[in-house]
Amino acid sequence: MEAEGVDHGVEFEGHRSEDQNSTGGDHPVSVSCPDIRRSNRPVRTRKGYIHIGAAPFGVAERGIVLFVHQVHQVVGTEAERFEDAFRQGWMGSLAEGSDARLLWYFDLAHGSGLAYRAVTVTGVADGVAWERLAERIAGGDLRSWARHLDGLQHGSTGRILTTLPWSPPPVALADVPTEATEREPVLYMEDTMWPFPGKLREYIAAAGAVYRPALGAEDAKMQMHIELALQTLPGAGRSPEVTLLQRLTSLPRLLHLLTNDLSEAVVGPGSWMHEALALRDQWRSKLLRTAPWSPLP
Amino acid sequence: MLFMHETHRVIGRHAGDFEDLYREQWMGSLAEGDDARLVWYLNHAMGSGPSYQVVTITAVADGGAWERLAARMLTGDLSELAARLEAMRYEVEGKLLLPVAWSALQEVDLSAVPTDGAAHGLSLYMQDTGWPDAPLDDYIELWDADYWQVMRQTPPDKKLLDIQACFQVGHGSGIRPEAILMQKIMNVETLGGLLTRVERYDPTTWPGSYMAKGLEIRDQWESKLLRTSAWSPLW
Repeated sequence: MEAEGVDHGVEFEGHRSEDQNSTGGDHPVSVSCPDIRRSNRPVRTRKGYIHIGAAPFGVAERGIVLFVHQVHQVVGTEAERFEDAFRQGWMGSLAEGSDARLLWYFDLAHGSGLAYRAVTVTGVADGVAWERLAERIAGGDLRSWARHLDGLQHGSTGRILTTLPWSPPPVALADVPTEATEREPVLYMEDTMWPFPGKLREYIAAAGAVYRPALGAEDAKMQMHIELALQTLPGAGRSPEVTLLQRLTSLPRLLHLLTNDLSEAVVGPGSWMHEALALRDQWRSKLLRTAPWSPLP
Repeated sequence: MLFMHETHRVIGRHAGDFEDLYREQWMGSLAEGDDARLVWYLNHAMGSGPSYQVVTITAVADGGAWERLAARMLTGDLSELAARLEAMRYEVEGKLLLPVAWSALQEVDLSAVPTDGAAHGLSLYMQDTGWPDAPLDDYIELWDADYWQVMRQTPPDKKLLDIQACFQVGHGSGIRPEAILMQKIMNVETLGGLLTRVERYDPTTWPGSYMAKGLEIRDQWESKLLRTSAWSPLW
């Protein structure tokens, strides 16, 4: 079975055979992973400890440094006004400066979880810019906007993330659209993993060495690809925690994943699913659909 | 100034080692920089909540200093210690706090914060975290006008709590709407009365008037009884 184009109101592209095992997220990929337990120990340098292969956090050329990720519990009767508050208010206010941009506005896909949940991801240039934004909300020009939003949502839960060393590079802030343009919605699978105590680095290294290449191999017919691989920053959320923001490219493959048991080849010894159990066994997937006007599709 | 508030779910068999590492290595290593200091190390008082839960609060000069601290922990000179701490807890939940305008605590003189781990007495704090139904600003204003302003005028010998700080959560680093009070318990006997007294408040007199008015703003909050460690820089 092949599929391409628009299906169920969600834009998909690419092809995939029904019997291929590679799916996505922190999900089954049909690859062996002999080096999953390879440690990623820090090495001492004159500047302190670093990790081999790890880009220093906060390097300017990586573009956006901080990602403010918020899950909003929206008041059902105010759902449209809530979305307008982000489209008109938040996106426009951030566009007046150069150090923060709304990147994505998602709705949790109906039928896949809690009702009236919106997810927003805002890119911020650095810690100084984040503090400036926080002060604007707490007592500055964005205070009235935040007060307005308080009336449209029951509450929100936020965390601040940064990219993993092997993440695809984020878009530059200057390239993020600041005016709403309508397009077809896109479906994402957002996976959040909580590695076992003391296993965060090993998990990040293994996911980068085994899971990511399996999704991105040239000869693989992709169901989805990683847009951003992120971890939660100290003091701004839960740790250990890793989040993968993955863009789905085949609805039939998603439906196949939802309606079939996983084969032994996918979950048996030697597979990512099996071997990664040494590093984590708890994660959560969310199916997020972009709003038609979301700055990034 | 920012305050990095972290709640650690420590693995019980590692609780002693976890505290020792904070006291003997983490606090000093953190202080090798000049823009962040551990200010409180608190244990959730046994018998009043979850087991083996530790709350730490780190004062950070500003947003740039927090980013530098995060970088030190992820890939820099603090990463090895951070990894050892991580191996001794199930998880940590953090948020970045901003003092509200009327908070008694606004700034900490980082150069004056002890980093030697010297032993001293213990203090008990009541940390109240509230989640209003109304706009966050209204809740913070209620606390100011109807709680803080009254409590600060209470004679010392009748004072249960000294409100040392009030915070709101910095954008996107935790829950909104949420506000937090750090209150030092000044009289344990009065706390005993609070714990054992049947709650019947007269709405015509304080604190009953505050409790009644408060219900228009919120009805969900959580109090945690937190005891400073014997070496906590602030106590």
